[in-house]
Amino acid sequence: MNYVATIGERKVKVTVEAKSGSDYEVTIDGIRKIVNASRVADHLWSILHGNESVEADVFQLPGEEFEVLIEGDRHKFSLMNEQQRAMLRPDGKGTTGRALILSPMPGKIVKLLVEAGQEVGANHGLIVVEAMKMENEIKSSGAGRIAEIYVKEGDVVESGAKLLLVE
Amino acid sequence: MFRKILIANRGEIAVRVLHACREMGIPTVAVFSEADRTALHTRYADEAYCIGPAPAPESYLNIDRIVDAARKSGAPAIHPGYGFLAENPLFAERCEKEGIKLIGPSAYAMRTMASKTLARKTVLSAGVPVVPGTLEPISKDEEVLQIAQEIGFPVMLKATSGGGGKGMRLVKDASELQSSLRMARSEARSAFSDDSVYVEKYIESTRHVEIQILGDQFGNYVHLCERECSIQRRHQKVIEESPSVIITPEIRAAMGKVAIEAARAVQYEGAGTCEFLVDPSRNFYFLEMNTRLQVEHPVTEMVTGIDIVKEQIRLATGEKLTVRQEDVKQSGHAIECRIYAEDPDRDFIPCPGLIASMRTPAGPGVREDSGVYEGFEIPIHYDPIISKLIAWGKDRTEAIARMKRALSSYVIMGVKTTIPFHLRVMSNPQFIEGNFDTNFINGEFFNEKEVRKPASEESALLAAAIHLYEEERKRAANHVSGDAAEPVSMWKHSTRPGVPGNWRVRR
Repeated sequence: MNYVATIGERKVKVTVEAKSGSDYEVTIDGIRKIVNASRVADHLWSILHGNESVEADVFQLPGEEFEVLIEGDRHKFSLMNEQQRAMLRPDGKGTTGRALILSPMPGKIVKLLVEAGQEVGANHGLIVVEAMKMENEIKSSGAGRIAEIYVKEGDVVESGAKLLLVE
Repeated sequence: MFRKILIANRGEIAVRVLHACREMGIPTVAVFSEADRTALHTRYADEAYCIGPAPAPESYLNIDRIVDAARKSGAPAIHPGYGFLAENPLFAERCEKEGIKLIGPSAYAMRTMASKTLARKTVLSAGVPVVPGTLEPISKDEEVLQIAQEIGFPVMLKATSGGGGKGMRLVKDASELQSSLRMARSEARSAFSDDSVYVEKYIESTRHVEIQILGDQFGNYVHLCERECSIQRRHQKVIEESPSVIITPEIRAAMGKVAIEAARAVQYEGAGTCEFLVDPSRNFYFLEMNTRLQVEHPVTEMVTGIDIVKEQIRLATGEKLTVRQEDVKQSGHAIECRIYAEDPDRDFIPCPGLIASMRTPAGPGVREDSGVYEGFEIPIHYDPIISKLIAWGKDRTEAIARMKRALSSYVIMGVKTTIPFHLRVMSNPQFIEGNFDTNFINGEFFNEKEVRKPASEESALLAAAIHLYEEERKRAANHVSGDAAEPVSMWKHSTRPGVPGNWRVRR
């Protein structure tokens, strides 16, 4: 099976083929290797590459995002089946020049610091979200105009909820 | 001894107190909010009483409900843990009135120390040095500006009723004052129902060192030496250790004496902590007294061998202090890392959620005080602390090595945690040398962005690709057998590669 991993800006081709027992043939960027991979628990893999032993916790997040933990190192990348990827292609998610501000955490809207239509500079405080007793001020990443406000003070929001649109 | 103890708290500290009660053979009562029905402390206690909805003011801060649970369960004593009602004099008074022993100091001691301004005045008159600043709370914004200009920027704004880093802001110049004041007041109002603040001179390059004390009801005191707590984010400690590399035996003795004076000034009873700022010339200033068990108490327990929670319980029953000052010795070195559900790469913002997978470290010199488990959803309503990892070694070098080893085998998936941050600190040359102050995280020592590519990246790709490959094969197989629509619980795969389907776990 052919996959494409996206690590930051980098794209890496990965192929996987099951061999006998729990052996797999894997190529990463064209380099082929045979590894023995055993699924110890739902999300836990023990991998022997030659005699080198690696333990990896593998989690698939929503979308094609993966999070892998090895010896305290946390790796995050997307991994997609090539066929799937081909299907996704046509729809380009172009939001150039606009910034949709999402809530970075579940919490409560404590204060709106801007009004719709207001011009803001970079690093301007937009909204204060409270979670776990801490208030967090979310700032604009660039300059723009507040095009839309999706929440009001007192609202309880989920992580990833739309808060504001800056154009 | 108490025939039963109610623990008016949740999370890791409730579990910690439950451990002590169990070891002492004392039956336990947990209280829990609706969000904590399946929390570890609810499951672990002998009895558990629901005290209301998830928001803390309706449950863990609700004095009536907690007193009611104590009455119903017949518990003659309450351990408040830290946070919530632990330093609330109203709660202490109510317990006194109800004939319930609150395991901690008197309402009077709490009230004096809870008001940071009153505490400063009280200890100052007992001859304890304090940080320059106002001795009275200030209500008018213009007055804050005026005083800040008199003292000279930078200044610290602090909530009069503050603690735990909440309602506290560093103000570098006058232009920042208004927004900082607003945030400090707003945080103080929601955390302590009191938005008054006071102003302290900000002393540069200080370290935060605190002294643990124990006192009985007969005026006997000992101190259990210091804890170094300079590694902080948002004025909250994240790494603590004992001993501190900068504290000499002479300074230790002097600080210990001053801490005992401060405790004596309020007839303090039980376990308490005096916090100090230590400047580069090793002058120390009283900051505040915490009239409760501290989050970081385990490092003291590891080096002194004294179980502070059990001592609290014994002292609360009216027993005399049996620990003598000359018996208190720091043996080896202990470090604690607080593991929070926070994203260290995004300014430590809280990341509550489901703990999808969890494996905790063990082995020589490692202690893990935890309040969660795999499958538990960390609620958004409370502090984001998951657990505390404590490593002990014969010296600081060994303690750091053990901490690194333990952190790198500590697996928590599903929520972001501060584990990667702690691993960075444990490898930081300045930290290893012991050369740091309270600005470590924001300051020069730590502001280099991490641009390394961990050596394990290829293994990570490989593991994820094999995992996805197997998941796709499983889906395809399900599809063929017509089971495609049936959701498979991530906890309950009955068959795994290499494990025959008819195997059962033996009980």
